[in-house]
Amino acid sequence: MFVIDKLPETIGNQLTEKWLFHSVSDLMNDGQFGEQWLVLTEKEVSVWSTDGVQVSKLAISDITDARAVGGVGGGSLLADTKGGPVVLIRYTASLTSIFGFASKLIGAVAKGEERPTASEKEFPRNCPNCRNPLPDGSQACPVCKSNGKVLFRMLSYAKPYRIQMVAAAIMLIFTTLVELIPPILTKMILDDVLAPKDMGSTLLWIVIGLAATSLVVTLMQTVRGIIGVWIGSKLMGDLRHDVYHSLMRLSLSFFDRRQTSQFIGRVNNDSEAMRQFMTDGVIWVAGESLRVVAIFIIMFSFDWKLTLLAMLPIPLMILVSSVLWPMIGRRWYQQWRSIFRLNALVGDSLQGIRVVKAFGQETTEMSRYTAANKELVRYNIRIEGLWQGMFPVFALVAGAGSLLIWYYGGKTVLNGGISIGTLIALITYLGMLLGPLQWVSQMINWATHAISAADRVFEIMDTPSDVPETANPAHIGRVRGEVEFHQVTYGYEKHHPVLKNVNLKVAAGEMIGLVGHSGAGKSTFINLICRFYDTDEGFITIDGTDICQISQLDLRKQIGVVLQETFLFDGTIAENIAYSKPEATEEEIMRAAKIANAHDFIVRLPDGYDTRVGERGHKLSGGEKQRVSIARAIIHDPRILILDEATASVDTETERQIQEAISRLVKGRTTFAIAHRLSTLRNADRLVVLERGKIVEVGTHEELLSTEGAYFKLVEAQKEMSKIKGVENA
Amino acid sequence: MSDPNGIGNESNPNDPYEINILEPGAVSFSRSQGGVFQGVVEGKAYEEMILFRIFPFQYTTKYISVRDAKGDEIGVIRDIDQLDEESRAEMDKELQLRYFLPLVTRIDAVKQKSDLWIWDLQTNLGPTRIVMRNLHEHMQYPSVNRIILTDINGKRCEIHDWQALDGHSRNQLKDVI
Ligand SMILES: Nc1ncnc2c1ncn2[C@@H]1O[C@H](COP(=O)(O)OP(=O)(O)OP(=O)(O)O)[C@@H](O)[C@H]1O
Ligand SMILES: [Mg+2]
Repeated sequence: MFVIDKLPETIGNQLTEKWLFHSVSDLMNDGQFGEQWLVLTEKEVSVWSTDGVQVSKLAISDITDARAVGGVGGGSLLADTKGGPVVLIRYTASLTSIFGFASKLIGAVAKGEERPTASEKEFPRNCPNCRNPLPDGSQACPVCKSNGKVLFRMLSYAKPYRIQMVAAAIMLIFTTLVELIPPILTKMILDDVLAPKDMGSTLLWIVIGLAATSLVVTLMQTVRGIIGVWIGSKLMGDLRHDVYHSLMRLSLSFFDRRQTSQFIGRVNNDSEAMRQFMTDGVIWVAGESLRVVAIFIIMFSFDWKLTLLAMLPIPLMILVSSVLWPMIGRRWYQQWRSIFRLNALVGDSLQGIRVVKAFGQETTEMSRYTAANKELVRYNIRIEGLWQGMFPVFALVAGAGSLLIWYYGGKTVLNGGISIGTLIALITYLGMLLGPLQWVSQMINWATHAISAADRVFEIMDTPSDVPETANPAHIGRVRGEVEFHQVTYGYEKHHPVLKNVNLKVAAGEMIGLVGHSGAGKSTFINLICRFYDTDEGFITIDGTDICQISQLDLRKQIGVVLQETFLFDGTIAENIAYSKPEATEEEIMRAAKIANAHDFIVRLPDGYDTRVGERGHKLSGGEKQRVSIARAIIHDPRILILDEATASVDTETERQIQEAISRLVKGRTTFAIAHRLSTLRNADRLVVLERGKIVEVGTHEELLSTEGAYFKLVEAQKEMSKIKGVENA
Repeated sequence: MSDPNGIGNESNPNDPYEINILEPGAVSFSRSQGGVFQGVVEGKAYEEMILFRIFPFQYTTKYISVRDAKGDEIGVIRDIDQLDEESRAEMDKELQLRYFLPLVTRIDAVKQKSDLWIWDLQTNLGPTRIVMRNLHEHMQYPSVNRIILTDINGKRCEIHDWQALDGHSRNQLKDVI
């Protein structure tokens, strides 16, 4: 379901025929913000201002084609005419997809081709109420949504532990009530023992009573504390678990745009902030508000007039809190962001520590850190200072209440209105009230901190995967391996396509060599087969089934990849090889390594297959790492094999051996191999030449050589290179 | 290092590995009837040309890469101020259109509504609104006082120097930067 803005009647009324398509843009032709309407009919394309004045028109018969030309942050819709290109309308980046569709439609109408149908993806999705953009894959508008939701959602994490929570709460109620007894007892001492100077047995009993209450309170607090810690740790565990799961579920494009080191802190710190609020916070709020109510009841029963006096400062405190609340929230976020930047910086420079050292840039890195660190210190002082400053102010305001009681209460005692014991009890209760009231400021602090943490955590959880799992996956079983690209267009950034209108049909068992200049889109091509990203337009099928209809687990089972950037996990070589098949036997692991020509070098290592390759496989050379990752792909026994520069960092001899292994391996498997060293691809059944995201040539090595096109040039260039180097490896 | 002048000194125009710096006299730009940017460069006419800022954040009117409709570089213009009046004006306009980056003149309000941040802005191109999912991923600081704001949908605005904004705007910014 999507909302298209209705064409204003002032424009609609002026049209002589039914229109095929209309859309509103957000820029005027001179680049200023403003609305203009594009209307397409069978005969012409016209542009109108909102009040119904025609700005321009172009007859379809004059148009040869149309295209959307993307700029940065915006774009324009161009019509090619016999007299040269014409700008129809301009728009900002948010409308890129709709005008991209418009350009195709206009082009199709002009050329009399089959007209494309619009899919939901192509329309900007705005909330019908407030016109703010809707998050992908959801109809709920976050702006119109109420703020309390985050709080409730956060609290829902406490649900599984409600029995324990209730137990803690009961204990809390009980402690609170017990804690209220001592002032009554002191009042009794004052009024019944000290004032009349009457010893009797009362004093002893009262003192025993006092001792008993403090014993009970201590006991209860201990037990409650233990329950609190238990619930808290469990909650933390649940939260971390959920965040991590959501992270794993997200698509690659989510991580492409972010520094990954940030998530380490995010998973831990944010869940800690939420935990603190939920266990300490919620229990405290419950307990303290109960205490406040109880104290007021008792105080009222002693003397309602004095109690009212004592309550005078409270409205003031509420007022101050509501003013400070949003400010504190923002400052917490500010502080969080500087921690975030600091962490990103550390993560970045440590990951690249080799480069840092290689270029001797330690001091630059240190000064970058110092700057970020200073900033964090500043924001820390800002937020901590704010709330440290708030605390005494709150105490002062609340303390004003007790001054009033001392003064007026003292007078009443002198008049004989109340007993001295009552006055002291009132003062004591008021003092006890001060505690919870100061907690108000602490609570504000906790709650805002927790809410902003929860916002970020839920943001991760709510981010829909860009490659959503289909609801009813098609059962594909073991595929034959036919892969077909149907007019696939894809760009990491939507307005900047990297693959353009790619069509290719690959038979089962065929080996395809992908060649082309660096940046031509070869890796992108295979990323799409693996469904690391979803196509912007068009679709890809395996054995005739759209890969979006296949469950991702099934899909990845069929595909074995050796990626351009080899990555090994922290673990042993054996574990790394068996990554996709943990149940693999030792023999299987060895066989896979042997095929990848890795067996020999692994055995020669002192720890053999049990060698721990640290983070990213530092301990291996580039070629060794590549061979391990080839073994990892082989053991998987995939139907579709993808090799992205799999042999780029091995010497020619090793490459020849791996080549042989691969040629054995590729039998009966659909293979996509990317290589810059063209000799690597001599076994390929067909070569596909990509140039700036477009397929420019397809054919066998011989065919392509004889046409003397792009491939021929690449081969010639390499021959040239080999001559220079004095080696011939083709 | 970002200054190609040093390298440009001994340039040989036929070397494909050399940046082809276009001399102001050798170029002229205009706009076609259809509103498309076009021009003549070193004696050759192009009916459609594309401009790229080479250092979009550092220089807005210097180091402009001039490319043909296919995106192949024809050459680089050092500073558009050296061009003749018409060319300069058209180039300026084309850059403004291609690099859609309104300059913020005033910040009316920065509001946080549930998990969205909403910026109501006045820019040199008219009033607009920017909606962000969060601040830490949608605000960039190319230099100390410069801020680039990015909308959920990719729309961008620039605050050239936030210290130079009026008091109200600075107040709005205080807690969000
Ligand atoms: N994760 C990414 N986010 C944004 N742009 C990307 C990303 N990965 C690649 N690109 C861009 O997409 C284009 C194609 O990249 P791709 O990796 O497919 O090239 P390639 O043909 O594999 O090159 P090479 O031979 O150097 O590996 C490049 O212009 C690159 O800048
Ligand atoms: Mg690649």
